[in-house]
Amino acid sequence: MKKPSITNGVNRGRRRLVAAGSVAVASAALGLRAPAVIGQTKRFSGVTLNVSCWSAKYPRLLEAYVGEFGELTGAKVNYDTPGLQVYNQRADLELSTKGAGYDVLNITFIFSNRWIGNGWFTPLDPYLNDRNKTQADFDFADFLPGAVSPMKDRKGVVYGVPWVTDSGMSVATRYDILQASGLGMPDTFEELEKTLAVIHKKDGVAGFLTDNHWGFWYPPFLQGYGGDVFRGAPDDLMPTLDTPEAIHSADLLARIVRNYSLPGAGGMSYGQTQELLRAGKANYAFVTHVGGMSHAEPEAKVAKTLHFSLYPRGPKGRFPGIASHGWGIPAGSKNKDAAWEFIKWATSKTLITRMVREKHLGSVTRRSIYDAPEYRKLINVNGQDTGQIVLDTIKLGEQGHMKYRTPPVYPQVNVQLNQAIGRIISGQMSAKESMTQAQTSLIADFRRAGMKI
Amino acid sequence: MKPAWETRFPNWRGDLFTLALLVIVLFPFVWIIQLSFRAKADIFDSAILFAPTLENYRALWQGNFALSFVNSIISATSATALAMIVGVPAAFALSRASFRGAHRIGLWILVTRMAPPVAFTIPLFIVFRYLELHDTRTGLVIIYLTFSLAFVIWMMKPFFDAVPRELEEAAAIDGCGTWKTFLTITLPLTGPGLAATAVLCFIGAWNDFFFALILTRTHASTAPVAIVGFMQYVGWEWGRMAAAGTLVMMPVVLFSIVVRKYLVHGLAAGSIKG
Amino acid sequence: MVYPGAVAQPWTERRDRELVWGLVPALIMLASLTAGPIAYLWLTSLTPLNLAQPATQWNFDQPLANYASMFGDPRFANSVVVQVKLSIASVVLQLLCGLGVALLLHPNTKIRTVARSGMLVPMVLPPIVVGITWLALFTVDISPIHRLFAWIGLPFGPLLTNPSTALWAVVFAGTWQHFPFAMLMSLAALQMVPEGPIEAARIDGASRFQVFWHVRLPFIAPTLVVAGLFILIDSVKAFPLLYIMTDGGPGEVTEVTNYYVYRQVFTFSLWGYGSAIAVLMMIAVFLLSYLIDRITRRNDGAWA
Repeated sequence: MKKPSITNGVNRGRRRLVAAGSVAVASAALGLRAPAVIGQTKRFSGVTLNVSCWSAKYPRLLEAYVGEFGELTGAKVNYDTPGLQVYNQRADLELSTKGAGYDVLNITFIFSNRWIGNGWFTPLDPYLNDRNKTQADFDFADFLPGAVSPMKDRKGVVYGVPWVTDSGMSVATRYDILQASGLGMPDTFEELEKTLAVIHKKDGVAGFLTDNHWGFWYPPFLQGYGGDVFRGAPDDLMPTLDTPEAIHSADLLARIVRNYSLPGAGGMSYGQTQELLRAGKANYAFVTHVGGMSHAEPEAKVAKTLHFSLYPRGPKGRFPGIASHGWGIPAGSKNKDAAWEFIKWATSKTLITRMVREKHLGSVTRRSIYDAPEYRKLINVNGQDTGQIVLDTIKLGEQGHMKYRTPPVYPQVNVQLNQAIGRIISGQMSAKESMTQAQTSLIADFRRAGMKI
Repeated sequence: MKPAWETRFPNWRGDLFTLALLVIVLFPFVWIIQLSFRAKADIFDSAILFAPTLENYRALWQGNFALSFVNSIISATSATALAMIVGVPAAFALSRASFRGAHRIGLWILVTRMAPPVAFTIPLFIVFRYLELHDTRTGLVIIYLTFSLAFVIWMMKPFFDAVPRELEEAAAIDGCGTWKTFLTITLPLTGPGLAATAVLCFIGAWNDFFFALILTRTHASTAPVAIVGFMQYVGWEWGRMAAAGTLVMMPVVLFSIVVRKYLVHGLAAGSIKG
Repeated sequence: MVYPGAVAQPWTERRDRELVWGLVPALIMLASLTAGPIAYLWLTSLTPLNLAQPATQWNFDQPLANYASMFGDPRFANSVVVQVKLSIASVVLQLLCGLGVALLLHPNTKIRTVARSGMLVPMVLPPIVVGITWLALFTVDISPIHRLFAWIGLPFGPLLTNPSTALWAVVFAGTWQHFPFAMLMSLAALQMVPEGPIEAARIDGASRFQVFWHVRLPFIAPTLVVAGLFILIDSVKAFPLLYIMTDGGPGEVTEVTNYYVYRQVFTFSLWGYGSAIAVLMMIAVFLLSYLIDRITRRNDGAWA
């Protein structure tokens, strides 16, 4: 993949960009401050903001820019990006005490309903609707609706500004092997199994590899075969994990992993699988867009043979997983105005456009940036427009199939799904036994959490 | 006739085996240290010789690790100092006194020492919420005292038991008060014990992971938690983890070599585990 | 005034009263730091506390609900089974390795004296560093151990993600870290075995093994029992290695009771339920401590 060259300060002004992104870029080129803070320079002198997010690509890239926010507003920012597990742990505990330890936190996908539903974040509508607090150029409507909806509670109040909508999709790291066998990207789960039977171990490459986050990768199978996690989320949260559809689809997924993956693949974490995929040890994978794009970096062995497709579908349709993460303000924060200023700055068109150009940020949530040719060129992989796959996936989200994520006890659901599929893959239990156990355990978990189902 | 070297080293077979075993046992320790000096590109290269680099250490210095390291030093040192100040006189009192219930106190201290950390963490987490002690070094010191104090008492009492009472009685006859006797006569005699206790107490707090994981966020986060923070979602930063691990384990290894004679007793109290 | 003849105030009695002042601050601190929290833990175990619903903190409507729900919870039962496996394996392996190495290092040669210090290193390392080290050593693509075994023609797969080996891999790492404790206790006990009976047995023509089995072992057995009890209690506290190496998985095969409590409370926010399990753990620890206390008093601290 050819990357657009990084523009330096000298020729920045000469670049011509179309679409909405251009305004922002132009202002950056002229050295203007983000318009939101014009006339309010150093408004937050003496304020210390504690900001934390898990160590995904965007928050880590953002670290290089945080100093600029300090110069703009006078606020001092303590910025921290621990690993996902430690981040979730800390954030959850801090939020549950309604403490003032953090001013800006990431709303992690699997926790979003627990954190938002329990009132642990600050509603952002009063900020968004106040012209003094949010100038028009922030343009909240520019954010993809599919990215914003997980940041809302059931009444539609907004609690977070998304920085990524990670779409579940498929990638073949060695598409050349598929082509050599006369195959394309499989469109259905059944085609997938047949394709893997052909390509497995070809050229010394395992057919399939995906990380152990089955709570995210399994529901598309379940829904594709006509089942669901709950009887009728969000209102009827009776789990339906022991249905024939659930058992059949769990068995299919587990069979794929067992037959066509590397030893021990059923339990590998995201980091581990990413390393192996990059090194070309396994071919077909379910990935998020961000994860898949990291294999297109020049250091990755598979950059030249990468090919993407939509997540496969089942007989009843295509229901790819969509995970949004966004910035929010904890209810206990004592610096909410400054925190809002930070969120606006961190998700502004200006900054995101700069991050795309200067750091090759590959995941965005603003329509205007998706439409900017420069961005689309960036996420074009081997002649394939991955941006379109993302937009199509997010569009599919309008079917509402992600509603299974709505119970506030979703972390338990996630763990139960991870473990249920893990047990089948490792051969500890049959699909039927494992899914039946997941069903009973989940009901017990819900009861214990005081939920009525 | 045996060769000369064999008479000089009659146990050479056992010695050789000892050396081999020592190498095997210490291998993981040495391996993780060498990892910290490898460049990112050849971090898991099997070549034994490589060009060492400090890039992993430099990266640590630029990140938030330095603060965590300082937090670890301050909270472990403060907890040790407090536990010694309060615990040493208590150990002396338990050693010398003949009051009823002294034994029951001993059992209580043992239970405290043995209790699973989660049992204290649940109630103290809730209480800390009201006292606003979350993510503070004060809060950490308080929770470290739950085991440090019991440990100091448990560890110091046998040292006082070993000091002959006759010395104190003689001082008492000369009109010296109990605590003055303690300070001028008994305490100096237990110098090595005090040093060993303090070091083991420090190691116990220094090695803690669980309490810091639950009770700190950013300001008071300790070095062991910071290391786990390097287990990133995208790719593992093995080099940085190894460098941070090396920095964290060096003080305890050095200290423990200094006080190795007293380790047996101290470990029976479980200072270093968990 | 004349000491110690002051009849009205025997010296010891007066001294005891002064000594109390040394004990009081420690007792107050211990009470507020341990007795208080444990009482509060017990109270919490009688409520359905969930921090998302503040009202649950003082809700004592169904005080025994948490305890009752434990019996219908297969994951709790599983965690106890895993705990028992982990504890037994830890005690047996650490005692065997510790005693074996102690027997090897017991003779006083220069090299072995040095080795006695060297062997201590794993024990003082921060558990988190031990966890990371062994996680790397158990990862197929990067571990020199895996490479070595593949080179001699005995390759084996990833141990930590395989449900039939994960727990034993963790036990192995734990044994590496903690065997020096049993070694130190054994060494101390071995130094105290009187030479007389050993010489007598040797003159009678006993083999090395017979000397060990009939003379040394009976003498050091009480020490080994105490060491075993300490290892047992510490195995109940197992946390950092599991957190780093397996996170309780795959499935629940490495989820010990302590880890289950951690999950219930700090991941799922079921404070009441987690507290109830923690109360049971406290009771178990109390009984074990009582046992240690009884044994050590009978042996008059010979092991220390």
